[in-house]
Amino acid sequence: MIQRTSKVKKLKDAISMIADGDKVAIGGSLIRRAPMALVREIARQRKRELTLYSWSAGMDYDLLIGAGCVKEAWSSYCGLFQFGMAMNFRRKVESEEVRFVDLSESCAKDKFRAAAFGQTFCVSKVPLHTSMMENPEFQSIIECPFTGEKYVAMEAYHPDVAIIHAHRADQYGNVQWKPIRMMDNECDILIAKSAKKVIVSVEKIVDESVIINNPTWTMLPKMYINAVVELPYGAHPNSCDTLYDFDLEHGRLYREYSQTPEKFKKYLEKYVYGCPEYEDYLNLCGGIETLSKISRDTLEVE
Amino acid sequence: MQGYTLAELLAVEASKYVKDDEMNFVGIGTGGQAWIMAVGMPTVAVCLAQHDHAPNATLMIGPVLDPLLDDIYVPDANWEYDLIHWPCRCQIPLEDALGIFRQGRLGLSFASAAQVDKYGNFNIARIGTKENMKVRLPGCLAQTDHGAYANRICVTVRHNRRTLVEHVDFISSAGHENREGLPGGGPVLVLTDKAVMDFEPSTGLMRLKSVHPGVKVEDVIENTGFSLIIPSSVPETSPPTKEELQLIREVIDPKRKFLEARITQEAAVLEE
Repeated sequence: MIQRTSKVKKLKDAISMIADGDKVAIGGSLIRRAPMALVREIARQRKRELTLYSWSAGMDYDLLIGAGCVKEAWSSYCGLFQFGMAMNFRRKVESEEVRFVDLSESCAKDKFRAAAFGQTFCVSKVPLHTSMMENPEFQSIIECPFTGEKYVAMEAYHPDVAIIHAHRADQYGNVQWKPIRMMDNECDILIAKSAKKVIVSVEKIVDESVIINNPTWTMLPKMYINAVVELPYGAHPNSCDTLYDFDLEHGRLYREYSQTPEKFKKYLEKYVYGCPEYEDYLNLCGGIETLSKISRDTLEVE
Repeated sequence: MQGYTLAELLAVEASKYVKDDEMNFVGIGTGGQAWIMAVGMPTVAVCLAQHDHAPNATLMIGPVLDPLLDDIYVPDANWEYDLIHWPCRCQIPLEDALGIFRQGRLGLSFASAAQVDKYGNFNIARIGTKENMKVRLPGCLAQTDHGAYANRICVTVRHNRRTLVEHVDFISSAGHENREGLPGGGPVLVLTDKAVMDFEPSTGLMRLKSVHPGVKVEDVIENTGFSLIIPSSVPETSPPTKEELQLIREVIDPKRKFLEARITQEAAVLEE
């Protein structure tokens, strides 16, 4: 039989699929399971004028905003959870260098779902009488043709590229998450389906037979995926469901570095620009052995 | 010495609003005092209600639906590994977590906010106007969703003029100022370190309901940034009974995981 096409790419090559000015959707929620290695590579390649979409953002948005990659960002949240405010986000939104569009959690998800289901818009009552309507994108009120109820019309998200982090995939791009996972991260599936191109990083690339033997784990079959990059601890310092916890030590370090633009420049120089290869970052964080201290679970079936 | 903490007083008060057979909501929260007001105290309130008058009441804590709430079942930390392994009846898919309230299935939703105004509008997104922003806060989360759809909302905040304002700078959750077309009931209860407030049905304006033991009505008026409706007689907030305190301290929260946020990375007490 003729071989199927491998979608495995090097980190650099995968992220080079993103162009300046692209609309980039990012997976994960709060400081959980954002594809941080892919995010750092976007910053390292100094992409500019990006528009970011997410369901609920955290360090991913803050790092890209701090690195000057972003002109506009949409989300229901941008903070560092236990570590407080996302300071780069706060500074650049307050100074109007970045336009931030507020959404509720359901509205953000609705906009991804609409695109994932092939629709151009969706409706919600949630923005009514709230400040979500101060943005021009939320000012179209329509009536239900059947009941007359009023809804705000919201355009579907159509990201150029989505970046997400998953547990494992085969080389063809059949992507799996362990069934024991944080349900709040499930928006990743809609985020991926909404985008024109999808780059996924995984903890491990496995043989196709592993996928075939566990097909109920596949949340995104290969038709949705354009590039697969194997990056163990690819969400670090974010957590990855039960596989590993958030790296508290790096969280404190990030909070400290992000207090001023000058300090944050040092963070970028050390952990982003100073790490041309992913291994450089892992080594800087103590290597796989040190990182294994945040591990809680394995990818094996229980 | 009054023999109970502020968090215990508020948990007992909030528990009276938990109805049998309803689903109630708290977020995952972060840590410290804000966590106690938005997550810890409400969780104890729901558990108290389950022990008292609402055995069929359930709680949704982020994706954890209807967990066992007595201390022996509650994890020591709120990392996702621990949340996922918390004994509960359902780890609820996000699609449902953000869907069921739109069907009117959310009873009492617990919130906190940076600003609350006289109509019960909440703000967790921004201090200052869009053009003259003073502080950019993290964002709306699901507060807007619950503002539109929850049957009832209880908000817990610090009682000062910075928080209780004439009008919020950003409406992240709609109060009674304008609810045309919104299916939910909006806010019904405001808990603070000084008092309990509700909303006058005819005007939708915030009204003093009771003052905590030792607090004077003048003190409440002075620390509220708008003209609060003051009824002719204002009772004292009922202090917790011996039985309620015993239940909290021996069964529900002996390790203070909730009322002192010890399940989070940042323990605190509500008293300043």
